[in-house]
Amino acid sequence: MIIQNFNHKMAAHCESGTITSLLNHAGLDITEPLVFGIASGIFFGYFHSMKSFAFPTFIVRNKPGRMRVNIEKRLGIRFSTMDFRDAARGKQALDELIERNVPTAAQVDFFYMDYVPSWERVHINVHYLVVIGKEGNRYIISDAYFPKIVELEEASMEKGRFAGGSMSPKGFIFHVDKLPGEIDYRKAIMKGIDKACFSMLKIPIPFLGVKGIRTFAKKIVDWPKFARDTEHLSHEIMKINILLEDQGTGGAGFRFMYATFLQQAADMVGKPGLKELSGELMKIGDGWREISLFSARIGKNRDLGPDKLKQLSDMIYDRADVEERFFRSLSLAIK
Amino acid sequence: MQKSIEDLRLEIKILIMSTLSIEGLDPAQVDDDKPLFGGDNALTLDSVDAIEIIMAIQRTYGIRIADQDKARQVISSINSIAGFIAEQQENALVK
Repeated sequence: MIIQNFNHKMAAHCESGTITSLLNHAGLDITEPLVFGIASGIFFGYFHSMKSFAFPTFIVRNKPGRMRVNIEKRLGIRFSTMDFRDAARGKQALDELIERNVPTAAQVDFFYMDYVPSWERVHINVHYLVVIGKEGNRYIISDAYFPKIVELEEASMEKGRFAGGSMSPKGFIFHVDKLPGEIDYRKAIMKGIDKACFSMLKIPIPFLGVKGIRTFAKKIVDWPKFARDTEHLSHEIMKINILLEDQGTGGAGFRFMYATFLQQAADMVGKPGLKELSGELMKIGDGWREISLFSARIGKNRDLGPDKLKQLSDMIYDRADVEERFFRSLSLAIK
Repeated sequence: MQKSIEDLRLEIKILIMSTLSIEGLDPAQVDDDKPLFGGDNALTLDSVDAIEIIMAIQRTYGIRIADQDKARQVISSINSIAGFIAEQQENALVK
C-alpha cells in the first residue's frame, strides 16, 4: 500500500525538506526556506578534535535534529518521535504507522539507500527521508534528495536505520502528531532570526558562529600539518567545496536558502528591510561560492602551497567580516 | 534582441572551454544532447568543473543558479544550459 496524496518534492536539504514534506501533507502550507529560517538552521562551526574527527572540519547549519525541535517549539507543532535498541521493534513500529497511513520520517545512514547510484553513496548517519508505503518487503520512500519516489528493501532499510558509528540513527522515526489551531508566524520568524543572530554573533566559544569562521580562516594554513600527504590534503581541501555546495546546502553553505527565507519572511512580518538583507546575503553567498571554487581548483590541481592556503585563509576572513556585519544588521532589523 | 538558440549553444561551448582552459577542441564536436558528466561526449566534466561553470554562467549572463538540484539539471548538457539561459532571459524581458 502507498499513502495517498503524498506530494513528493525534491528539496535543498534532507532534514528541512523532510519536515516540510510532512507538514505539507498534514495540511500546513509552508516552504522549505521558511522551515529552515524559523528553525534557525543557518550556522557555522569549526571543529578540530582528534577524538571526534580525523581531520579538521566545519558545519554550516545547526546540529542535526535541531531543526525539528525548533520548528516544534516555534510553530507549536507536536511531532511524535521514537527510537529503538531493537531493530525488530523498530521495524514493527514503522510498519504499523505506515499501515495507519501516517507518513513517517526516518533517520538513516545514506550509504544503505541503494536507490542512489553507488558512486554517490557515502556514510552519513543523519540522512532523513519519508516512508510513504510498503509493498511486500519493499518500503516506498520519498527522499528529498532523489527526483522521484523510490523503493527500498526491508533489509537495506534496517541496515540504514540501525547503522553504528557516530550519531547512529538508533532506528529514529518521527511523524506529525498534531498541528496547532493557529500559528503566529510573525513571532516564530522573529524568534528564528533572533536565535540565528545570537548563534552567529554571541556564543562565547571561539569555534562557533562568526568566531568559528575566523578560527577556520586562521587554522586552514596549518592543515598541511594534519594531512598524511599531498593526496590527503588535496582531498580535504576539495571537501570544502562538497561541504559548502554538495551536501544539500541549497548552495553556498545554506546562505542562499537563508536569503530566500528572509525574502519570504519580509512580507509575512511586515519588515521590507529583510528583502534588502536577503539581497545582501545572496552576495555573501557568492563569496562562499568563490571559496568553494578556489578550494576545488587548488585541490584538484594539487596546487597547495602556503601562498594558496594564505589566499584561501584571506577569503575566509573576509566572509567572517561580512557575515559579522550582516548578522548585526539583521539583528537590528528585527528590533 | 535575443540570440538564436544555436548561437547561444555555441557561446556556451566556448564559455565552458575557455573557463576550463580546454584547448584543441572544435565546439562542433561537442554534442548538444549528450550528457556533459560521465558520458561519452567530446566534452566531459567532473563535479569540480560544475561549480566553475555555474559561476561562469552567473558572471556572463547574470543568472545565479542557487539551488544545486536545479544546477545539476541545468548543467547536464549543452541543450539544458541553453534552454535554461534562454528561459531566464525571456522571463527577464517579460518582467
